[in-house]
Amino acid sequence: MTCFAVAGLSDAGVRRAVNEDAVAWRVSQAGDQALLVVADGMGGYAGGSVASELAVAAVLEVIGPKLEIPDQDPMTMDDAIQAAFNLAQRRILSRRQQMPALAKMGTTLVLAWIRDDEAHIAHLGDSRCYLIRGGEVQCQTRDDTVVQKMLEDGSINERDVPKVPFRNVLTRALGGSSDVLASMRRIDLLAGDRLLLCSDGLTGALPESCWSGLLGGEASSAEQVRQLVDASLANQASDNVSVVLLTVL
Amino acid sequence: MASLSQLVDNVVVMSFDLDQSLVTIGRRAENSIRIDEISVSGQHAVIEAIPNAYLDGVTDYYISDCNSTNGTLVNDLRVSERQRLNSNDLIRIGWNEFRFIDDSENALEQTAYILEE
Repeated sequence: MTCFAVAGLSDAGVRRAVNEDAVAWRVSQAGDQALLVVADGMGGYAGGSVASELAVAAVLEVIGPKLEIPDQDPMTMDDAIQAAFNLAQRRILSRRQQMPALAKMGTTLVLAWIRDDEAHIAHLGDSRCYLIRGGEVQCQTRDDTVVQKMLEDGSINERDVPKVPFRNVLTRALGGSSDVLASMRRIDLLAGDRLLLCSDGLTGALPESCWSGLLGGEASSAEQVRQLVDASLANQASDNVSVVLLTVL
Repeated sequence: MASLSQLVDNVVVMSFDLDQSLVTIGRRAENSIRIDEISVSGQHAVIEAIPNAYLDGVTDYYISDCNSTNGTLVNDLRVSERQRLNSNDLIRIGWNEFRFIDDSENALEQTAYILEE
């Protein structure tokens, strides 16, 4: 049976007074399943943190109990993941209607549900999931952003990305979009693999090329997460920084 | 609307509005922006104004070099393929310096937001 070590951390960063990110993780009692969640809220006032917390709570509510059910059909797992996104959307829209101050709130959502050696990854927005295997860092999600669309249609190249003025504009996210069909994929995991979920505060302050020195070795998952967040803070992370890391033992 | 400000010793000596979908720059008389100076090729560079496909009201400006003899540089890097311009980019056409200014960039929020449908 596969065993996991999971740790996570969320920090407001060095310039923001409020942390609008939310993170959570769970490992089943049998130790054969794990759930990792990161949400990056937006919308001003208290809206961002409300939206991200609603999203994470919806995921834990829908998927949390299912972590204790063995031998689930992969399709059933994907259905449960979409149900979690749908519930999060309903809760956010409902709260937006109730409270005018929260009318613009929304959030990204990325989750990974791991059962034995298979990971189900789902997301909306620009929070990401990475697979780290043998020192190589591979992004498993495709940002729902204007910048990503312009990269794909050839309007801009990677060199332009840090400079374009609309790099923070999302094309899809919970709250703002009517289409909340999560982008999903499944990947097989090997012993020693790491899955890393993060908000864009991490990638904005600490490029992926800097991660390999901070991940790996004998350090615990909690220590590695701390090192990543500390390194992004040392780089004057201007956004909230959140990381959840799973190591396949 | 965006503009190009020609600089001499860091002082603006001339300003050109980029008010057409295609602005040509070069030494020949038929160019939209004519620079009658020996380091500038007959047709040296073009700037295209293209509405952003995903953001209403946003125009992207792209510069391309037209196989000029002395090259086109943006922020000291030679333009080898069509390249998007950002406000305050420093453009060199031969020996001539220009500052690209796009005031509408300031209107775009610095914090994340979602394109509401």
